[in-house]
Amino acid sequence: MSDNKIQMIPKIRSGIVIDHIPAGDGVHILEILERDPALKNVPITFGMNYQSNKLGAKDMLKIQKDDLCERTIQHISLVSPGVTIKRIRNFEVVEKVFVQPPKEMVNLLRCLNPGCITQNEPGLKTRFILTDPKKNLVTCVYCEREFSIHELSPIV
Amino acid sequence: MKRDLISMHDLTAEDIQVYLDTAARVETISLKDRFQLLQGKIMASLFFEASTRTRLSFESAMYRLGGSVIGFAEQAATSVSKGESFSDTIHTVENYSDVIVIRHPREGTSRHAAQISYLPVINAGDGTNQHPTQTLLDLYTIIRNFQKIEGLRIAFVGDLKYSRTVHSLLQALIKFRVNEFMLVSPDSLRLPEYLKRVETDLPVTFVETKDLEDAIPYADIIYMTRIQRERFPDQIEYEKVKDAFCLNAGMLKKAPEQLKVLHPLPRVNEIAPDVDETPHAEYFRQAKNGLIMRQAILLNVFEVTI
Repeated sequence: MSDNKIQMIPKIRSGIVIDHIPAGDGVHILEILERDPALKNVPITFGMNYQSNKLGAKDMLKIQKDDLCERTIQHISLVSPGVTIKRIRNFEVVEKVFVQPPKEMVNLLRCLNPGCITQNEPGLKTRFILTDPKKNLVTCVYCEREFSIHELSPIV
Repeated sequence: MKRDLISMHDLTAEDIQVYLDTAARVETISLKDRFQLLQGKIMASLFFEASTRTRLSFESAMYRLGGSVIGFAEQAATSVSKGESFSDTIHTVENYSDVIVIRHPREGTSRHAAQISYLPVINAGDGTNQHPTQTLLDLYTIIRNFQKIEGLRIAFVGDLKYSRTVHSLLQALIKFRVNEFMLVSPDSLRLPEYLKRVETDLPVTFVETKDLEDAIPYADIIYMTRIQRERFPDQIEYEKVKDAFCLNAGMLKKAPEQLKVLHPLPRVNEIAPDVDETPHAEYFRQAKNGLIMRQAILLNVFEVTI
């Protein structure tokens, strides 16, 4: 297994590995990384559909940059909660975090309700509260509507 | 810290009880004495959407307490119609007043106003979301009739999808441990699922039906609502359901003696005029209670104890 992985996606000396991404979600995370100006010109390797004991199949991303900004990590947590972000130094994992959506999300997601004041007042930041972490349900602080995180588009 | 009244979400049953108790005390104070309570205070009444009862009863409540009122009854009469942002309007109005009452067609507007203003803000209805002052007067009407809230059986009838009065009242009743509701609506106007997911230790049951007659022998309170033409994105859908329910005196012959019919008003054709003469009709007294409750709300906002 381990050898197989190395052949398919080479180890990086230094940078960030996003692992345990449910197969199919990797593309969405890649879209988020593409929108981060700090990652422009940074080499990123993307692998899809690796065998995984935990997930059955998983995607993986390797980023040759030492850190990710907080906002990008929060966006990743929204599209694919539960992924692992590992920090690599000299080919070794020096830090590992499991990413979960924050309890409160400020200006990360756009409200889907066309009647919500956040859709109509220039400059007003959206705010959502994570009301059901198991089902990934969030409630808009303003219009009080509940949505699945996956229904909502990120604010970039 | 300023006291806003934005959503029933923000209030505990104990908070609500304070409003109910204050309203009961308001009724015991003479008009002359009441007139001293908010002397010198100015209420800004910002109605970006049409209203009869809420606006007039708020303004009357402020005058009854000795205060004054400035404001507008339609957006066309304001600089918003010239393109001014809502935030700028609030920052302007707060220079001229001590409390802001807002009705607005967009959901979340009062919450936004409360966040940006140093004055207390009262939500007089925000789109299809909340109408907390209506809920407080509804609860006051229920208490006056039944001397309790817990254990009552309540049927909501009509537009359960867009009706902010239903959304607010349902949440409040659950806080008072009402745990059985009948929901009478056409399919297209059913209560949104997210409002049925409630966090309470007491299991809450919703019985859904399309037949108003089911509610009559069942309920202590029938809460009628208007099918709101202005909320429908598609007018054809409105035409399909506009006459879905009409309660008349004949149907109420099967009603238990204690049954009360409430309605936030205005009504169109969902309650026939012959119901007005029955002992079950409570909606006009409910509207009158609005004046009492809105005095209680203003006193609470200004932290005046009576």
